[in-house]
Amino acid sequence: MSIDNPGIATAMFAGRRRHRAVRPSTGRWRHWACAVLTVAGLVLAAVALAESTAPAQAQTPATFQGLDAEVQALKQEVVDLNRDLFMLEEELLFPANTQVAVFVSMDVGTFFALDSVKIVVDGKDVANYLYTQREAEALLRGGVHRAWLGNLKPGKHEMTAFFTGKGTHDRDYKRGATLTIDKGVGAKYVELRISDRASQLQPEFVVKEWE
Amino acid sequence: MHANILKPLALVLVVTVLAAAGTGVHADAAEPPPAAPDFVLKATDGYNYRLSEYRGEVVALVFWASWCGACRRELERLSELRGIYGDAGLQVLAVAVDEDAQAAAAVARSTGAGYPVLHDAASNVSRAYALESLPMTLLIDRAGRVRSAHGELDAAGGRQLLGELRTLLDE
Repeated sequence: MSIDNPGIATAMFAGRRRHRAVRPSTGRWRHWACAVLTVAGLVLAAVALAESTAPAQAQTPATFQGLDAEVQALKQEVVDLNRDLFMLEEELLFPANTQVAVFVSMDVGTFFALDSVKIVVDGKDVANYLYTQREAEALLRGGVHRAWLGNLKPGKHEMTAFFTGKGTHDRDYKRGATLTIDKGVGAKYVELRISDRASQLQPEFVVKEWE
Repeated sequence: MHANILKPLALVLVVTVLAAAGTGVHADAAEPPPAAPDFVLKATDGYNYRLSEYRGEVVALVFWASWCGACRRELERLSELRGIYGDAGLQVLAVAVDEDAQAAAAVARSTGAGYPVLHDAASNVSRAYALESLPMTLLIDRAGRVRSAHGELDAAGGRQLLGELRTLLDE
């Protein structure tokens, strides 16, 4: 580009100088502003990440122990509360004057492998429980299983328990045992006991009442 | 030139601020996975199996039927996975929704299933798990919570299932 008029050229250069004199300072400002904003953003992100992940690193072992004790105490409180609530619920749902509970127990079990128990009260199915291998083994080790908990009005009731499982020689075996229970004002507990009758090589099913 | 510098910097700023905000929101919004409904079913081997007895182990619960072709592939896949990860705590329970337990037992044997094959005769368990399609594989963690559910799986789905399974076994 040729410049014929020196005056104009001077003005142009002056203008360019003016332009140059303004532009660098604005650019620097923007550059710094961007840098500051970026750093601020990174710091914010780092703080947020540190809050979500790093508190464990910042804690001392003593703080951890204190925290652990607090957590254990809280857990214990929850367990106690849960137990109290459970007992309260049972008392409310099954008051003593109508409560009937049926328990299953096993002794030896050489002639019978328990599979399931069905309980019928006054002609109505109230419980049907399938026993797993672990549960059957627990019964053989002396455990007692509450098969049914319900309410019955005072008076006479007919209760029948059907036991299904495998008898001798791995044969399917099903037996029933009936009992007439006289429900009084207090809670009634019934035990269904499975034992072996060695003299006949047969299982024996005994229904027993507990007051 | 400045505009060229500004744009990436602004982008970085926005991304970092969103990431920072996102970490907090995600932590608050996370909901615990649902508990797997407990059940007890009779298996084709004659024994009864209760799901809650497998607490502490990772359970792959698969619903299937003998007339479903994709189900056979799923049973084979789970049989293979159990062989690899059984010692690490993987248990497989296959719930057959067939009416005929013998047919289910025969198909399960043909797939080499070395795990309990349960028969949901009354469809109570299928209803409890809101079964919509076959096969359906649920991964249940050591605490008894349903962590994921899968329908029929392709190769990518199989890899995803494997990844989830490994994560659960590592927990």
